[in-house]
Amino acid sequence: MSSDSPFWLRKLTAINSRLFPRGDANLTRLKRRQALFAAIGRRLPLLRTLLFVAGYLWILAIPTLPGQGTYIDENALLPGQVNTNWNWAEVHAADRYLDHIEKLRDDNATSEQRAKYFAEEFKKLGIPASTQNYTFSTVFGDSSGTNAYATMSAPRSPGVEAMVISASWLSRTGEGAGSLNLRGVSTVLALAGFLRRYSFWAKDLVFVISDDYLEGMQAWLSAYHGISQSNLHTNDLDLSSGVIWTALSIDYPGHSFSHLGMFHEGLNGRLPNQDLLNSFIHISKYSGGVPVILYDYVDHQEYPDQYDLLPSWIPASVRQHPDVKGYLYRFKNVLRHGRYQARGIGSGVHALFHQFRIDAFTIFALPATGPHGFHAIGRIIESTLRTTNNLLERLHASFFFYILTDPDNFLKIGLYLPSAILISVAMMLTGLSLWVEAGWTTSGDKKSTDKKWTRRKRPILHVLAIMISTHLLGVTMFYLVNNKLFFRSRICPVAVMLITAVPPIYAIFIPAASPSDAPLSVVLKALNLCFASTVISITTVLNFSLAASMAILLGIPLSVSPTSSRRARPKTVYYIAYALFGLGWLVLCPEGVRKAVLDWETLGVWFGPFLCIVIAPLVLQAGVVCILV
Amino acid sequence: MLWRCCLVLIGALCTPVLSKHLSNEEFREQVSLQTLQDGRVASTFSFNILLKDATPREPRTLIFDDESQHYNLFPLALGQILREYAVTELHLTLNAGKWNYDSWGYPKERDVGTGAALWAWMADGGPTSIDYRWQGLRNALAGLFCASIGSLDEQRTTSPVLPFAPEGSLPDWGVEHELRHASLASEHVCTENLTPFLKLLPCKSLSGIASLLNPHRLFDADWHGMGLHVLWNPDAGVEVRLAFQLVSDPLRISAGKKQDWSFSTLFDRTIERTCPVAQSSIVDVALPREALYNISPEPPRIDQNVAFYDLTNMSEALDVKLKWALDFTYPLDPLKITSMPISVRRTLQGASQDRGQLSLVIKNNAPFPLQVLYLETMPWIVQFYLHTMRVSSDTSGDDFISNISYVPSVPHSRPATFQAVLTLPTESTVYLTIDVTKAFLRYTEHPPDAQRGWDLPPAIILPLSSSNAIRSEFVGRIYTPPLLVDLATPDFSMPYNVIVFSCSLIAFIFGNIFNLLTRKFVVVRLGSQQGTSKSKHD
Amino acid sequence: MKTPSTVPLGLVFSALVASRLLISCTSIHEYLIHDHQLSSPLTSFLNLKEGIYLFNNGVDPYSGGVFRHSPLYLSLFTTILSPSRIIASLLWTLCDSIGAWSMVRIWRARNNIVQSSRDVLVAALYFLNPYLFLPSLAFSTSSIENAVSLLAIMFACERRTSASLLALAFLVQLSLSSVVLIVPIILLLITSPISQLVSPRPFSGKWTQSLGHVFELAIYVLVLTLASTLVSGDFLWISQTWGASLTLPDLTPNPGLWWYFFTEMFDHFRPFFLMVFSVHLLIYIAPICIKFQYDSLYATFLLVGVLGIFKAYLTLSDPGLFLSMISLFPEIYPYFRHPIVTSLLHLHATMLLPLFHRLWLTQGTGNANFFYASTLVFACANGAALVDCVWAGLRIAIGEQVDGYAVTQE
Repeated sequence: MSSDSPFWLRKLTAINSRLFPRGDANLTRLKRRQALFAAIGRRLPLLRTLLFVAGYLWILAIPTLPGQGTYIDENALLPGQVNTNWNWAEVHAADRYLDHIEKLRDDNATSEQRAKYFAEEFKKLGIPASTQNYTFSTVFGDSSGTNAYATMSAPRSPGVEAMVISASWLSRTGEGAGSLNLRGVSTVLALAGFLRRYSFWAKDLVFVISDDYLEGMQAWLSAYHGISQSNLHTNDLDLSSGVIWTALSIDYPGHSFSHLGMFHEGLNGRLPNQDLLNSFIHISKYSGGVPVILYDYVDHQEYPDQYDLLPSWIPASVRQHPDVKGYLYRFKNVLRHGRYQARGIGSGVHALFHQFRIDAFTIFALPATGPHGFHAIGRIIESTLRTTNNLLERLHASFFFYILTDPDNFLKIGLYLPSAILISVAMMLTGLSLWVEAGWTTSGDKKSTDKKWTRRKRPILHVLAIMISTHLLGVTMFYLVNNKLFFRSRICPVAVMLITAVPPIYAIFIPAASPSDAPLSVVLKALNLCFASTVISITTVLNFSLAASMAILLGIPLSVSPTSSRRARPKTVYYIAYALFGLGWLVLCPEGVRKAVLDWETLGVWFGPFLCIVIAPLVLQAGVVCILV
Repeated sequence: MLWRCCLVLIGALCTPVLSKHLSNEEFREQVSLQTLQDGRVASTFSFNILLKDATPREPRTLIFDDESQHYNLFPLALGQILREYAVTELHLTLNAGKWNYDSWGYPKERDVGTGAALWAWMADGGPTSIDYRWQGLRNALAGLFCASIGSLDEQRTTSPVLPFAPEGSLPDWGVEHELRHASLASEHVCTENLTPFLKLLPCKSLSGIASLLNPHRLFDADWHGMGLHVLWNPDAGVEVRLAFQLVSDPLRISAGKKQDWSFSTLFDRTIERTCPVAQSSIVDVALPREALYNISPEPPRIDQNVAFYDLTNMSEALDVKLKWALDFTYPLDPLKITSMPISVRRTLQGASQDRGQLSLVIKNNAPFPLQVLYLETMPWIVQFYLHTMRVSSDTSGDDFISNISYVPSVPHSRPATFQAVLTLPTESTVYLTIDVTKAFLRYTEHPPDAQRGWDLPPAIILPLSSSNAIRSEFVGRIYTPPLLVDLATPDFSMPYNVIVFSCSLIAFIFGNIFNLLTRKFVVVRLGSQQGTSKSKHD
Repeated sequence: MKTPSTVPLGLVFSALVASRLLISCTSIHEYLIHDHQLSSPLTSFLNLKEGIYLFNNGVDPYSGGVFRHSPLYLSLFTTILSPSRIIASLLWTLCDSIGAWSMVRIWRARNNIVQSSRDVLVAALYFLNPYLFLPSLAFSTSSIENAVSLLAIMFACERRTSASLLALAFLVQLSLSSVVLIVPIILLLITSPISQLVSPRPFSGKWTQSLGHVFELAIYVLVLTLASTLVSGDFLWISQTWGASLTLPDLTPNPGLWWYFFTEMFDHFRPFFLMVFSVHLLIYIAPICIKFQYDSLYATFLLVGVLGIFKAYLTLSDPGLFLSMISLFPEIYPYFRHPIVTSLLHLHATMLLPLFHRLWLTQGTGNANFFYASTLVFACANGAALVDCVWAGLRIAIGEQVDGYAVTQE
């Protein structure tokens, strides 16, 4: 029957019988399901490796991804649509202020004297001004200072909205290493005198000259929003204004500049709405005539020699190739972004505004021997303020999640998110396969085609106990680190390191699982991987850089921790390796620890606690896996 | 030649008529200018039209047709509205900007709350309810003044009797009079409101003091506001007061150091001719107390350091100039303003979109204790947690707050009204804080500019004259600036997606459970030989 | 981890209570009390305090829009207790202990034993369940409702009819949506709580008894309603408390499915969908009670799970009760279909909910859809848990899996 039927008919019947097999529907359904699972199971190792490789490659490829050009989404902004009035008279005023301020610096005036001088200058301009004293008490002792601020209420406006123009006394060069921001401060003063002369302001203008690098502005913002911070002592402000939508902080350390650098990362990885940045870039380039760069990295086409970073054994044809340099340029930008965002520290004074939903960024005048000065920066800031003054609503139209690869191109979240997600999925699959493996055991001879699968119990409660205890350990460790005594001597970090000895001791005391049950190590590793992957995939949305670095650092190490006792000899070596990997930073980079603690105490950056309470315990658990096998 | 004769003739014919009708209506106008301590100039125009021995309409007569009214000076459009809705007393203010009490002192026209505010006293007992007439009045005035007063619906209407006592007197018809008050802080006042305002004046802005009202300058000022006040005096009659007030900054206009001003610099106009129907039309200028100055033209009358010019017998165009000998310098520490007993600061603190804290700081500058009435009318989108109210002061003592009266708000309908009497010790500061939660609105309830937020009406502080030491100019409502509250917004593009997602999830769970509950369990024999046997059979 | 066999229940129990009290005496509640996941407008402690404040100052709390608690709370906190922090932390700890204790009692009644090694675990799983722990640290009245519902079930298991019905009446007073539990609890009263999942058999109880129970319950409810009316002075409270869970006047976000749906709903469809959502809750009663007629306690448990997914103004403690009650039915554990998937879903949801809530309301970078998405994930997790329990409860009747054979549904 089948022989004489034509080829296509046989094919059709074959397909038909495969699609709609006769016989027991349930049986076929079950068979189909089993076949599916079997197929997945067989390909799982391959799939995992593929996912890992794809994820890591994707992360590497982020700088080269085909982003799209930045554009302005909010129609109300109309950047660069006005002709600016800032002129040489104002430049002269700024210079005069600068002379006074330099005098203040030379007979090193206290911050009270400085603030008093600023406030008086504002009052002389007819702008109500005041000062604010503050004191932060941290484990490293107290640090206090005085801010000066002035609120210019816009004519005919109810004064419910405000813009902030700020400059900190310390410049951000070297993350507030100590160089002064004199020209930034005098720019603010000159701007105050200049902007007051116009009646087109729809929002109040608030001028803040904050003391120190970050602390001053943190104190001012907390007081302005009435947020009480336990370790901050300050008097409440006696001038108030409306809701602040946008803020920009001016950083002008050198005596003149060649580029305007843009810093935008906020605290805990928040980014400002892209419209703000784009309109500034637009204005600076087209109406200000000053090239804009990200951070302080100049463009690779202008300065190709600055991107000759590859080792010399690579042929010059590759090293000098513009595309390579372009990649390096964007790579540096993305890396800098990631460094700021992952650690949750902002890249400047503007970062503090972000915790109050204020979109802000820092204009950094890149020190150089020219050609630009007060004239250029004044015009650009005036035009930028006019633009933000046009806003009818809080900035919301454009993106909040993006990566700027260079000033004119950015990546949407969809382009870079999958990189970390792929890795976390790979970890999740590993965990799930281990979980299944723990649940079943094969008995009978390996050779025979149908092995005898039997269920076995998984000691979940013990495993959960281990995991929870490690995290509790992390909490205690955090409190130890967050303590005066910790920084007294070099011994303390080592002592805290010894905490890592607790889990193995604890693990030993766990009653040995009955041979019928699944081994602890497998279940622990499975749950550890599942948890880690969950943490990573959820962090991607909040703080991509942190998630990506977690994926890079944890992905492989957690997945390869040995579960068969043959490979895990000697156990302790493995464990110590993991312990060092998890907590080595305590000893190796005390400065980083110090800064993390300080940031947590004054600014509420949750990188430190997160590291202690979530990441380190995850690594320790992987170590415990090696102990338990 | 001929047309001039005709004009004279017509004039001759008209005069007796005019005079006859003018006898029971009179029109007085006045502008007073005052230099403020921060170099700005406050000018207050007020135009009074008196309808002699007239009475407001009694609501019970609303069932009959109204007897015909004939006005010469009294604005007809307004008169019709008043009688149509039987309004006894009416106040409408449209202001732009926040009045800076601390450096400007009390304004001449006391009601300077930002945006639009409308309150009226109406008698009950008509065929229609007071609220119905209130609604009609709102819409009529909205049409008359081109302002969005119509949107002052029941979500904004309150009846705070204490701070808004009637300024005239209420006729005794043996029926209850009730107050309706509503304010809209987000109303932007501009020239489209000024034009109808000028139309109500007998001489429009053609002659007299009103000719100074030049939109280009008025709406460039630092603060401006207009007001309409209708009230009844038993022995005078129905009186209408139209007021315009502005604060201009000569230092900004001239971009110089001198604070000199003149009509031509402030208004870019001078008074060319007088308004013929005005009984009196006066310009008065408050002269600086301690400074070298020069005023021209020489004022005919100076009384208590105020120069008066009478325009009724004006020969040539009047352009008052005030010049100072010295440059102006801003005071480094703001001087105490004697007419200002207290200074108020009101803020909505907290940066989260779901809750915040309302904080009020009142400083008593006076050398004697004060009692003030504090009124908050809060739309339902911001809900008070009254049990979290804390009142403290920098001086010792307690019970700073007393006779609290509170009407809680009802979602989607009624605003909350909070009234209390604050006792301010001598030269001290009193702090009041209340925690609030912000409502979450349906997506249809958000305004088009949802991301901006909502303007909350100003709070009102009324110094109570009960305390003996208080002087007459201390009394008068003090308006705080409005507040902006940003509410959490849903995604406005999502309704269909949300309906689809939620419903399909529910359907999925529902379907799963009912599958399990209804379908029959079967035990299937797996294993290859059975499978092959099956395949063999067919 | 303590091995249950060795540790005496009393010791562990008191230790748990002590630690619970200790934690609630810290200032942690200040961070939790505003949280939308832990307390809804109907259960928030702040709203309760506001209502009490207004009541004490002569303002009718039900005339405003803030206070939506039952008048019973009013009378409790204005006459006997004061809503101070200490009292509150004591009361809420007491509620948790009552809940945990009745869980133990239910467990014992189900297995018809005086004492077992598992008691400790059952109690601990109620105390340490974060879904129950955090809301009660935030003084959300939902933990009181949980305690009352567990009391009702416990008394029903122990055949103390009137006590159980009274507790049930209180429960209905406190939260209207728990009417869903009336039928199974009454069935439980006329059957036995002992596990019958393995051996299904037709309904054994006598229907005639149930009528009496219904009547008794009706009387209790009526009395309590009258009492509430006397307390609050008029009938306004009914629309403010019971009406709120039907008409959803307050759209404050919560982990449930209602709030965003009715935020985005077109005004002219609102009443219809309100009706659909409310009726949808009742649909589950009949089939579940019929299918599990041989084990009413299990039916009750499943309906608690239904409430934990679909009820209006959901808080974490509603699904929390369901998850903790799973510990009462160890016999079904081997028959779960995919427990790991369910628990991973829950893990994701519990991390997403607070983070996306913060992203939307505090940080302002994410919009409402972020939090909405996380509530969907949470609903999926709860749904998966419920489906697993239904499957396991039915599957157990067929018995151990023999290899070479597979059990499925056609």
